[in-house]
Amino acid sequence: MLSPEESVDGGTPPPPAPAPGRRRAPVAILALLLVAVTAVGGVLVARLHERVGQWQSSSTRWEALATDAGRSAGAARAELARREADLAATERQLSTATARISALADEKARLADDDASRRQLVAYQERVQDAASRVTAALGRCVARQEQLITYLSDARAYAADDLERYRGDVETVCSAATDASDALQRALDAG
Amino acid sequence: MRAALLGGALVVLVAGCGVVPGAPAPVPTSVVPPLASPSMAAARSGDGFDDEQRIALRLRAVSCDGLATGSGFAVDAHTLVTARHVVDDATSVQLSTYDGHDALATSVRVAAAADLAVVRTRDALPAASALAADDPEVGDDVTVVGYPLGRALDVTTGHVTAVLDDPLDENTGVVMIADATVEPGSSGSPVLDDEGHVAGVVYAKGRYGSTYFVPVSTLRSMLDDDDAFVPAPGCS
Repeated sequence: MLSPEESVDGGTPPPPAPAPGRRRAPVAILALLLVAVTAVGGVLVARLHERVGQWQSSSTRWEALATDAGRSAGAARAELARREADLAATERQLSTATARISALADEKARLADDDASRRQLVAYQERVQDAASRVTAALGRCVARQEQLITYLSDARAYAADDLERYRGDVETVCSAATDASDALQRALDAG
Repeated sequence: MRAALLGGALVVLVAGCGVVPGAPAPVPTSVVPPLASPSMAAARSGDGFDDEQRIALRLRAVSCDGLATGSGFAVDAHTLVTARHVVDDATSVQLSTYDGHDALATSVRVAAAADLAVVRTRDALPAASALAADDPEVGDDVTVVGYPLGRALDVTTGHVTAVLDDPLDENTGVVMIADATVEPGSSGSPVLDDEGHVAGVVYAKGRYGSTYFVPVSTLRSMLDDDDAFVPAPGCS
């Protein structure tokens, strides 16, 4: 295919010569571009340098903080271990103390049991003693009345028969009471 | 053209700023480590005893025929529950607590329909127990706290093994059996469930280490009935 010029003129015209100002334009653009890139690069380098400083400072502070935290953690672990040891010792002491309290409570209760038993025994002995005294007194009265009755009977003609019979009944009553007291004593002894 | 170049330079500058990393975050001035504190392994009162030990009471029943010991437990500051046969013929009842303190009984009332008794005290009791809402079931864990043989406070554990009518005819309704070991002197001990609530009251020791106890439902019904307990007959 032919271009339009070839179809009209039948030949190739020479290219137009560039103007002097237009030839310097790329150089200027490149120069400006270089300047701009240089400026931007300078700014970037300055910013990067500033950030590097900031990060280095931050890193240093973090490192110091980590060191302090490590020391604190170590101290805290040591304190925790000490407190746990104290707690274990205290729990052992508490366990010993509660066991001792229980033992003392048991000992006290048993002593109170013994005391109550002794009180009961004393009360029983007092009851037996009272019963024995009553038996002794009743038997004494019985014997005295019987002796008196024997005296009366040895001179029966001197007394009225009805009076002697009444006295005999009284003696039997007194001696029966003595027998009852003796039986009560025996029952008390059997129960004891 | 120059404007375009200037714009391009600005674009490059802005893009270049994007390449620069941001400023570091502020560094804290100190680090507070988590506070680790040792903890107590078991929940105890201030004196080192468990609640189950604090509610248990030792009874000394002095009767005309001699002296007997039993166990009981507080249901409020001045009331305790025990077994009827521990106190029914007593002329006086003396109490002692887990830590050896004494308490004086002011009245003793016994139940006719169960081997249960209620004792009122003049002195305040150290701790009261809560009653379980329901009876335990066969297989449930139980703990018995009391003074077997009148000796030191003792805690035994076991499981509920049976529910049956009382073979001793001491109680109306059913009673329960557990395989926790008891001895004479344990009568009146609380049977505690796994939450520490009273699930029954020991009244007899069976064969092969078994324990007979009145279930808490019976105890509840009697405590709610003003006529269920009458003054103990005592002896003369």
